[in-house]
Amino acid sequence: MRHITKTYPGVKALDDVSISFKKGEVHALVGENGAGKSTFIKTIAGAIHPDSGEICIGGKTYPHLNPKQAIDLGVAVVYQELIQFEAMTVMDNLFMGMEGIDGMFINDKIRAERTQQMLDSFHCNVRPTDLIRDLSIANRQIIEIIKAVIRKAKIVIMDEPTAAITVEEQETLYKIVKELKEKEVTVIYISHRLDELFEICDRVSVLRDGQYVTTVNITDVDKDGLIALMVGRELTETYPKKPPCSDEVVLKVEHLSGNGLEDISFELHKGEILGFAGLVGAGRTELMHLIYGAAKAKDGKMTLRGKELHLKSPADGQKAGIGLVPEDRKFQGCFLDKALYWNTSISNIDNIGKGPFVDTKEEMKQAEIFKKRIRIKTPDMKVKAGTLSGGNQQKVVVAKMLAPKPDVLIFDEPTRGIDIGARAEIYGMMVALTQEGNSILMVSSDMEELLGMSERIVVLHEGHQTGTLNREEFSQEKILTLASGL
Amino acid sequence: MEEIKKNKAKQGRSIGAILTDLSMPIMLVVLIAIFSILNKNFFTQLNLTNILVQNVHIAVCSCAVMMIMVSGGTDLSIGYQMSVAAVLVAKLLSTGKVGVFPAIVLGILVCMALGTFNGVMGHVLKSHTMIVTLGTMAIFQGISYLISDSKNIHNLPNAFMYLGQGRLFGFLPLNVVIMAVIVVIVAIIMGRTKIGRKVYAAGDNPEAARLAGLNVTRIKILVFTFAGLLVGIAAILMAARAGSAESGTSGPGIEFTGITACVLSGVALKGGEGTLWKVIVAVFVLGVLSNGMQLLGVGTYPQHIARGAIMLLSLYLSNRAPKKA
Repeated sequence: MRHITKTYPGVKALDDVSISFKKGEVHALVGENGAGKSTFIKTIAGAIHPDSGEICIGGKTYPHLNPKQAIDLGVAVVYQELIQFEAMTVMDNLFMGMEGIDGMFINDKIRAERTQQMLDSFHCNVRPTDLIRDLSIANRQIIEIIKAVIRKAKIVIMDEPTAAITVEEQETLYKIVKELKEKEVTVIYISHRLDELFEICDRVSVLRDGQYVTTVNITDVDKDGLIALMVGRELTETYPKKPPCSDEVVLKVEHLSGNGLEDISFELHKGEILGFAGLVGAGRTELMHLIYGAAKAKDGKMTLRGKELHLKSPADGQKAGIGLVPEDRKFQGCFLDKALYWNTSISNIDNIGKGPFVDTKEEMKQAEIFKKRIRIKTPDMKVKAGTLSGGNQQKVVVAKMLAPKPDVLIFDEPTRGIDIGARAEIYGMMVALTQEGNSILMVSSDMEELLGMSERIVVLHEGHQTGTLNREEFSQEKILTLASGL
Repeated sequence: MEEIKKNKAKQGRSIGAILTDLSMPIMLVVLIAIFSILNKNFFTQLNLTNILVQNVHIAVCSCAVMMIMVSGGTDLSIGYQMSVAAVLVAKLLSTGKVGVFPAIVLGILVCMALGTFNGVMGHVLKSHTMIVTLGTMAIFQGISYLISDSKNIHNLPNAFMYLGQGRLFGFLPLNVVIMAVIVVIVAIIMGRTKIGRKVYAAGDNPEAARLAGLNVTRIKILVFTFAGLLVGIAAILMAARAGSAESGTSGPGIEFTGITACVLSGVALKGGEGTLWKVIVAVFVLGVLSNGMQLLGVGTYPQHIARGAIMLLSLYLSNRAPKKA
């Protein structure tokens, strides 16, 4: 039984939060971005010291923990962005910093044997001598969990473990969570995917704006109830109503191949949101890169507004009238340590100002227009993009792509890592864009989002197109079946 | 109460940020003040002009280093690029068969070619330019010694030396004027033009820049070409001031002075960040430091130690202040 209280006067990232975790339970921690989940787990892990409050673990009380202390007490964290020694082997990662495995010198044989045992017991199909950087995200997560188990962790914290892994891998992860539970390990599980909580959790605690809301048994609540607790209000309609698109074909893709894809064909109508479903590795992002010109097509034909496209680079794609809002905001979309106006103008920089010079007044003017048009919440377009919330960063990336005035916009995972309130705004923005005459291709791993936003859905499986569904045919089961290649 | 506290904290932070921001000018003023007190010959027109004149080629080179670093690259071959250009121009001039102007143009063109070679190799080999230029440095070194035959080349025509030693209106050193013009041009390119903006983008986040429709490869190669142009000019200014050129001393080592100045002034090693005027100030911090110590009679080796200490001190200063407001 543990009891944790913390207060942060200055920033109030956590305001007098008390949550107790039982031995051997799977306890979910939910809340929108900025609710204080990360701060909370960091205090348990000893990464930050609370201003006040105390942490009780196993009957002992601590005002704060240091990382070493936390580890000794049996706290292990599987962070969302995994911190591992990428160029080292699985076994070296597992035993890093541990003593008493072998003698003074490293005995690879003993290490490999023990690693193999652990890997087997976790149904993890990798070799002890594989390099971490060659593993999939899911397997890397499992390695972190094994690491926790080897260190006899009593509390395992998982921060969004399913954010980047496939459906099958999720099943494996759920199984592991259940096994941990049987071993009397407390699992603290943070996730934006509410569905999975009902599958694996016992209790769920809700945080909102740094404050503790409540803890409920998962059986006593449904998803709408949970969302209501998280946002503090009933979200009656997450997905905006969208007027139907016209019959006019904007983009026609015929037998497109290349970049791991084969024979993809579809039509995009003016004002349409066309969804793309598939598991990780199905080639959805790769397809978008083909259409945008970020990868080269081997075969096939693309026609935009009656003109055949021959794209060799993203610049060509942009010139033709296509814009891409990439999957990874931090590494592909935003220039985080540059100002917002800088971000919104970079794609269109050649058209801002005469001759070789940038017209900074014009640049600022256009940035302000974008701020109003897609409602970027910031006091000033001069602040750095990295200081904004995920949702607003995403809007900045959209503004960057809108600057060259495209006809077709590609949204690759438009709301990944964005909290529910901000999602609704992104959705509203997307619908508004279609009303302005843009057409949208949307890749998403979020089933609800696909079903809620798309007018039709193209399903991919390992580089092949396995189906195209109209709204009337939409169902989770159908999409999953097609996506699994069955 | 809390509001006031917050405001105060905010102010404190911004003062810290300003200090970080102006650490180089402050260091320059402090060094000048210290040396002026310690030696009466330091703060004289003659000596200050000397400092300017002696650092002209370093400042021009640092412009090149800064552009390359902002674009996300590193160039270790700059010193030997200079060396090639200097001995080539000097050799051509010493024969007396080639005119001053064609020789200079040829020297600059060769440097641009060498720079472009660096950029293209970085792209073709898909390696970091630091490693690529470690290789090309050796190549350029060989070329330079082949041209000079390990000899000091002197007897250069007066018209050429005027570039490095001449005075406009009898007092304004011509090479300092050339440097000022180049610095202003590079500052405008990096700060005010579209291509400058693209260079920052390509260095800050190459993948985002590529997906934003920029031709990152072309931008990076272009930066190396332009850097070659600057290095060529620096080589000529140096040879013209010295009145001679030698493979081993005309240039080599300057890449590290340039990188030092850039790092001191906050040019990010990963690219995408940096301000030119600060780099130039940092060049003169280093210049004042070595000049002042020379006047004080400090030997060469203690000078190295002092230079390293200054570098570590400024790293301490810039990392102490919180970077994000």
